[in-house]
Amino acid sequence: MEKDYGIIDSVEKLSQAMIELKEAQKVFAGYSQSQVDRIFFEAAMAANAQRIPLAKMAVEETGMGIMEDKVIKNHYAAEYIYNKYKDTITCGVIEEDEAYGITKVAEPIGVIAAVIPTTNPTSTAIFKALIALKTRNAIIFSPHPRAKLSTIAAAKVIYEAAVKAGAPEGIIRWIDMPSLDMTNLVMRESDIILATGGPGMVKAAYSSGKPAIGVGAGNTPAIIDESADIVLAVNSIIHSKTFDNGMICASEQSVIADSKIYAKVKKEFKDRGCYFLKEDEIEKVRKTILINGALNAKIVGQSAYKIASLANVKVPEKTKILIGEVESVELSEEFAHEKLSPVLAMYKAKNFADALNKADRLIADGGFGHTSSLYINTVTEKEKTAEFYSRMKTCRILINTPSSHGGIGDLYNFKLAPSLTLGCGSWGGNSVSENVGVKHLLNIKTVAERRQNMLWFRTPEKVYIKKGCLPVALEELKNYYGKKKAFIVTDTFLFENGFTKPITDKLNELGIIHQTFSNVAPDPTLACAKEGALLMNEFKPDVIIALGGGSAMDAAKIMWVLYEHPEADFLDMAMRFADIRKRIYQFPKMGEKAYFVAIPTSAGTGSEVTPFAVITDETSGVKYPLADYELLPDMAIVDADLHMSAPKGLTSASGIDAVSHNLEAIASIMATDYTDGIALMSLKNIFEYLPRAYDNGPNDIEAREKMANAATMAGMAFANAFLGVCHSMAHKLGAFYHIPHGVANALMLDEVLLFNASEVPTKMGTFSQYDHPHTLKRYAMVADYLGLGGKDDEAKLKNLIKALDDLKEKIGIKKSIAEYGIDEKEFLEKLDDMATQAFDDQCTGANPRYPLIEEIKKMYLNAYYGKHEEV
Amino acid sequence: MKLDKVIAERKNKTVYRDGNLAIKVFSNEYSKADILNEACNQARVEDCGLNIPRVREVCKIDGKWAIATEYVEGVTLQKMMDDHPEKIDEYLNLFVDLQMQIHAKKVPHLNKLKEKMQRKISETTLDATTRYELHTRLASLPEHDKVCHGDFVPSNVIITPDKKAYIIDWAHVTSGNASADVARTYLTFCLKNKKDIVDKYLNLFCKKSDTAKQYVQKWLPIVAASQSVKGNEEEREFLLSWTNVVDYE
Repeated sequence: MEKDYGIIDSVEKLSQAMIELKEAQKVFAGYSQSQVDRIFFEAAMAANAQRIPLAKMAVEETGMGIMEDKVIKNHYAAEYIYNKYKDTITCGVIEEDEAYGITKVAEPIGVIAAVIPTTNPTSTAIFKALIALKTRNAIIFSPHPRAKLSTIAAAKVIYEAAVKAGAPEGIIRWIDMPSLDMTNLVMRESDIILATGGPGMVKAAYSSGKPAIGVGAGNTPAIIDESADIVLAVNSIIHSKTFDNGMICASEQSVIADSKIYAKVKKEFKDRGCYFLKEDEIEKVRKTILINGALNAKIVGQSAYKIASLANVKVPEKTKILIGEVESVELSEEFAHEKLSPVLAMYKAKNFADALNKADRLIADGGFGHTSSLYINTVTEKEKTAEFYSRMKTCRILINTPSSHGGIGDLYNFKLAPSLTLGCGSWGGNSVSENVGVKHLLNIKTVAERRQNMLWFRTPEKVYIKKGCLPVALEELKNYYGKKKAFIVTDTFLFENGFTKPITDKLNELGIIHQTFSNVAPDPTLACAKEGALLMNEFKPDVIIALGGGSAMDAAKIMWVLYEHPEADFLDMAMRFADIRKRIYQFPKMGEKAYFVAIPTSAGTGSEVTPFAVITDETSGVKYPLADYELLPDMAIVDADLHMSAPKGLTSASGIDAVSHNLEAIASIMATDYTDGIALMSLKNIFEYLPRAYDNGPNDIEAREKMANAATMAGMAFANAFLGVCHSMAHKLGAFYHIPHGVANALMLDEVLLFNASEVPTKMGTFSQYDHPHTLKRYAMVADYLGLGGKDDEAKLKNLIKALDDLKEKIGIKKSIAEYGIDEKEFLEKLDDMATQAFDDQCTGANPRYPLIEEIKKMYLNAYYGKHEEV
Repeated sequence: MKLDKVIAERKNKTVYRDGNLAIKVFSNEYSKADILNEACNQARVEDCGLNIPRVREVCKIDGKWAIATEYVEGVTLQKMMDDHPEKIDEYLNLFVDLQMQIHAKKVPHLNKLKEKMQRKISETTLDATTRYELHTRLASLPEHDKVCHGDFVPSNVIITPDKKAYIIDWAHVTSGNASADVARTYLTFCLKNKKDIVDKYLNLFCKKSDTAKQYVQKWLPIVAASQSVKGNEEEREFLLSWTNVVDYE
């Protein structure tokens, strides 16, 4: 006795059923993979067992198609789908990566609304029910009225088997008396829609407001290229087009044969039982297959003989396909439409390009996104194949394959997923462009654990240190690298005062020819760099030696870039980045033409070991700060001999610059143990030796050497940990008022320490390892290392600031911006602009406290008046 | 109102002329709601800027509902077409222009064409499958809110002696998709066996309004179904052949 499932024939009953489905699905969502796999297995087995009765029923009820072919479809839907997904994990964790901290978890979606077409009423139902069960979803079928009994029968078979295998009662339901109202209700109330049907149904699905995996119409053209195996091509098309009387939506609707082989193709079709309609017969069939541009329901899924009879055309009873040789690919040609029957259009193409144009148009006529087919020699005609797949706006491109069987997958290609719901992509108004499978019925949760950024420590491959090391280090250029031509970049002062002589003497001795460019001015300009690069291009050096302070070294780096990559654009290179590893602009590879040696003559900028350079466009006044490890010198030579005669002002300004490098590197969100160690040691030495170098530089070798090392170490620290808002503000202060860079930093330093030390910052910096505002502790660590004392972190910070103020005083740095003679009115007028520019400076990104522009303004004001009001 | 001069006679209504009034008197089996709806529809469109006779009165005459409108002096475009077949191109041109002028208007509160069609499909005697297909087809077509006359045929256009064109009989006016209105006119031409002008008409409309023919054709099964509700027996087979179509898959 048949079980009574409660008839759904009204909107009220349907609403109740939707509630019950949701309840059943909640239970099902808790099932384990093994429970689900058991149900999936039993359901597939049951559907497979019923493949013949269901096929019979479908043909009897709809009067369409061929029973034996429907058996294949049912068989396919049960067996191929089971085989494809039997081992797929669909419950719980599906992917895990401990190192990256990523876990992916599969969850069901809920209730699936399944709209089933008349053309495949049982196989599509089997397919959808199986993938719903495999993914722990509930499913409700909205059958087509013409095929409702067979769709319901298929659903029942699977439902009963599933429940027997342990699935919750009511996990599969169906509408007994379908109407558009009920279909719409099902779609509205479901969680996702699996709509198979024509454009009308797909549109309804997408209008329901629920996510839909809808598929639409196909109008598959099959091109037969002159290189094709004609026997294979024609027989594949016949096989496909006659399958279930042409009702598969991927089925060929037209054949486009190259004129060179047209006659052969035609003969093969004829020999294999296809009928070529005569001119008057073509007209009769036209009027039969389409009524006012719409497909006549009476011909769908009928035999060629029957359709011919309806059109009053006499053909042999066993005719396989009615073929109309037509010319137009426009919609006004009935044969150009999808026909859902063994009626085929045949076109003669002048050549391959003409064939492509015709196919393109036929797809636009009504098959956007679906399927296209090409018969070709794939070995010799790779280019044509590529042209075909790039031209066709279809989601399945089938090569030498019957498209009905080929499109559904796993029959003629074993990587194309088996499916009876074929996505047509955005071209077909679909959300899916693949063959629909279990993955489309799952919500994938991504569990992302916090992980920390990989950091690095990068420095020139060679850093040579010691008073008097210069000539020794230079020997390598000859002995190790075999360099022949050196280009020296320096400033006029150093050149005129003989600083380049020890270098040129050594080069002469080594037999390295050389040229010197000594025209670098402070704040080097692009014009200067271009001038140098021009000379380089003529001289063609294989080594560049930069000698001097930051300006000479920066200018030399830029010349290096221009010399190696004259095409590089400074605007691109200067583009701000949030993370140097993820920057959009790929910095050009350096070092292919010349090796770069940097020799500092003052203790401060650290440019000899940093990946930074700043250049000013003298025409626009725009500064281009460049940052990339490609700009890292290859060799740095730190020789105190070159520092001995540095004037007081330079010693003081560059020494305090190194202090700020260290303090910012320590506070940076990117600080590491490596940069901390270097920065702390550097700071300790600066506090001890900078006053000595300032007071008695020319005579105090120890102080000069300690300072030279401290400055380069500070460079290493910030070359890796980067800087912060102190430098951001100092850059603009320098640019607006020509305050020396080191002094500008010194003026902002106290403010920045107080600002960063806040335990309750307005906003903290964004960086995975920067987990809470902890900069106060970092400054306290510095105070401890310097032995400054203090009962708690705040006292230690106070002592650090005090020590900084003492140091500044000892080396002649004034206490406020005002004291440097900056006009108050002008300062206040330009403050907004300066603060905004400082905010946008590349250095701001690494600051532990993310500054608001208003806060930068307040710091500037404090520094101007030499007060410490809270920011 | 004097009812002695009959100017038109239909199955359930008779139109009389009394001076400058045209009085349409309905038979008793006519639904009151339909009569009031017709008067209301006409009142709604009469200010839209087209030449439309105004409703003067809705009243009962001898126990029968009647609508009195302004009488328009002139001849119908249909008669002109019949009398001067050589001028058919010129007349069709005018006809299409007028229809497009109607479509260019928007009038609030009119019945919705799509809702009306949906109702009509449900009222047909077509089988469930065909109705399902038609409902689905209708649901997928764009709604729009253009004024659609609903029975735009040459006999509903009157040309006055000073060559002004008046449009009458607004009983079926709705707001909706112009292509549906054109499909409806096309169907009427086909039913009246006007084979000579039907394709000319459609081509002309599509060309002038830059509409794809297929776009109009999509409505044909729907207007045919709607017509089948009131259609007579001899039209039935023809109409059913138009409705028995399926969406592509």
